[in-house]
Amino acid sequence: MRLIPLAALLAVLSTPLAAETLVADPAAPVTHEGNLRVMTKFGSERLRPYFETLAAAYMAAHPGVTIELIQEDDDSVKAKTKTLLASNAMPDVFFSWTGTWGGNLVRGQRAVDLTEVLDSDWGKTLAPSAVDAFAYGGKKYGVPLYLDAKFMGYSKPIFAEAGIEVPETFEDLLAACDRLKAKGITPIAVGNKSPWVGLHYVGQMLAHDVPRAVLEADFDPATATYTDPGYVTTLNRLSELAARCTVGPEMNGIAYQSALQMLSDGKAAMYYQEIIEFDNSASASTVLKPEEFGHFILPAPKEAKGDPMALEGAPEGYMISTASENVPLALDFLKFATTPENGKLLSAPPYGQPSAVVGGADPATMNPSVVGGLQDIAEASYLIQWLDTVNHPKVATAWLNGSQALLGGTMTAEEVMEGVRAAAEDAK
Amino acid sequence: MTDIHQDPGAATRQEPGATSRRVIQEFWRLRWVAVAVALVGSFVYWPIIDNFRVSLTHQDIFTGETSPAGLENYLRLTEDPVIGLALWNNLAYAVISVLFQVFGAFLLAAIIEGLGSPRARAFWRAVYFIPSAISTTVTGLLFYFIYQPDMGLLDGILKGLGLGYWSRVWLGNPDTAIYAIIAMSQWQGFGYAALLFSVAIQKIPAELYDAARMDGAGALRQIWSITLPMTREMTGMMVIITVTGAFQVFNEVMVMTGGGPNNASQVLGTWLYEQGFNQNDMGYAAAIGSLIFAVTMACGLAQLWLNARRRVT
Repeated sequence: MRLIPLAALLAVLSTPLAAETLVADPAAPVTHEGNLRVMTKFGSERLRPYFETLAAAYMAAHPGVTIELIQEDDDSVKAKTKTLLASNAMPDVFFSWTGTWGGNLVRGQRAVDLTEVLDSDWGKTLAPSAVDAFAYGGKKYGVPLYLDAKFMGYSKPIFAEAGIEVPETFEDLLAACDRLKAKGITPIAVGNKSPWVGLHYVGQMLAHDVPRAVLEADFDPATATYTDPGYVTTLNRLSELAARCTVGPEMNGIAYQSALQMLSDGKAAMYYQEIIEFDNSASASTVLKPEEFGHFILPAPKEAKGDPMALEGAPEGYMISTASENVPLALDFLKFATTPENGKLLSAPPYGQPSAVVGGADPATMNPSVVGGLQDIAEASYLIQWLDTVNHPKVATAWLNGSQALLGGTMTAEEVMEGVRAAAEDAK
Repeated sequence: MTDIHQDPGAATRQEPGATSRRVIQEFWRLRWVAVAVALVGSFVYWPIIDNFRVSLTHQDIFTGETSPAGLENYLRLTEDPVIGLALWNNLAYAVISVLFQVFGAFLLAAIIEGLGSPRARAFWRAVYFIPSAISTTVTGLLFYFIYQPDMGLLDGILKGLGLGYWSRVWLGNPDTAIYAIIAMSQWQGFGYAALLFSVAIQKIPAELYDAARMDGAGALRQIWSITLPMTREMTGMMVIITVTGAFQVFNEVMVMTGGGPNNASQVLGTWLYEQGFNQNDMGYAAAIGSLIFAVTMACGLAQLWLNARRRVT
């Protein structure tokens, strides 16, 4: 047996001290001297080289600067951030999601106010909607690096073999699943061992079943009620999707990477994924080749009471720590990371992260599906944020546990919503 | 030439300042342990005290704000349904671990040490110890593939034996998740415990076994009447280590299920982590830490007391 990590316990035991909110001055002179600690969410083997390349280029241009990279992955960056917060050791530049996650960092005065900088000429080189996603109380705190949204990725050869067209409604999708199952093909590969996977389905489907105004009110802990009948409708639809399109409760024992691999290996017809995963699903080294990969937005039901044109997604970006001793240098590095050239590098394979920089995407070098996905993001009527980062942590946990239990067949839709409502009440 | 006089009162009379010099010398001797005391005090005892202080507060990890909570966090412990579930899972971990890693490992060690060939003994010790040398993360990944539905080795074996109806989503089913993790933990810890018992058995004088054989005692009787009593201290120590370890378990659960599905495999350690690092509730996390400390301390003291009563000299 292994014991609770000492670092975690020490972090629990230490008393953090919040720093003062700082306002970045766009006219502040940059001194290219000293160390810069940068915490990224690019810890995977595929993405890790991006910031390594950037850091090496920046240090070569400025020999007096040393950049220390802390590269985490999607799951570990949450714990790492909180550990560093608790021990007052936040790096100069750090990754952040939008929504409540970024809001908590702003509330804790951990992020430098970048409003003046982002309102300057450089700020105009970034997609305005992505910049606005990091605004809290009318002030801007984050530099968006890339845009992200959720799509159903599919294998064109399998669809063609089964005689299936891209489904336009939820009902069409279920019918396509029936047809694929009849041919002995797993329609949708799902690995819900990490429960955010299933919750991402819920997020997109809620946008179809619950009016936007209701959703936005429920995301705010002060006004949350979670009483709209659309919530139960979504969860019941999810149960039906799981029964007709997936391996069923077994998904709770499968890691999402294994499920993604099933699509890449041509063993499943579809996999619900983020646009930033497209280049991982289909590449020169996978069975499914990039030209055989297609995508579509998880379709709305015919009788949708919410917004059928909504899309689940949000930009992801970086903030500067109020504890940083060299804010101008940190800002200069972020400006370097968001040049059009570096944006194009990020948008193209193998990274495939569609840059938030205006002109930072070159269709000639990008996966056509990523280009198409970017077009879908631009045309979406509403971007609903991830439920596990937009909600209060207690509510997010209730959603995560409840949706996993629902997909495991151990809770009903009504029971899940009871748990969410109780958590929302607790979060007030 | 020096004239030596015998002074009858010298033994009881003290030079002025002798007592204070002796006290200073006693303190001076303590310098050898001062570093150890300072380190243990700073990194073991102070965090325990500070954890209790934190448990009496509400803390916001993002803002660093602290406000007094009194005993509120401890009252929450009694109302939180996951605490009961986690305690049950820890208890199951402890009971199963004691069965396998104490009594099972003892039997295995006795069998191995009873083998005639030294080479065979060394071989089997190594075979059983190897899993302990693998990191928990790697073991977790290995067992993830073993437990994987349909494609996993376990389900494959069950189906091969015609027992396909026993097939389960081992890590995704609330009824089996914690037991699947406990099973992995036994696989990993069993050999290490057996090695410790082997060392204890090797210290037992061979004459005792010779005498027992001359009295006609068989192998089982020798284990029962010689090996078991002569390794009682090691057994007691292993029970303490195993039980306290079972209540502090963290990595195995975190790697395999993260406490899911729907909290079914939560143990106190992972629930502490969830509250502190995901729910941003450091005060309550510290209260859970105090509970873990109280449970492990009680188990340790109880075992030490029992061992002191049964010690074989």
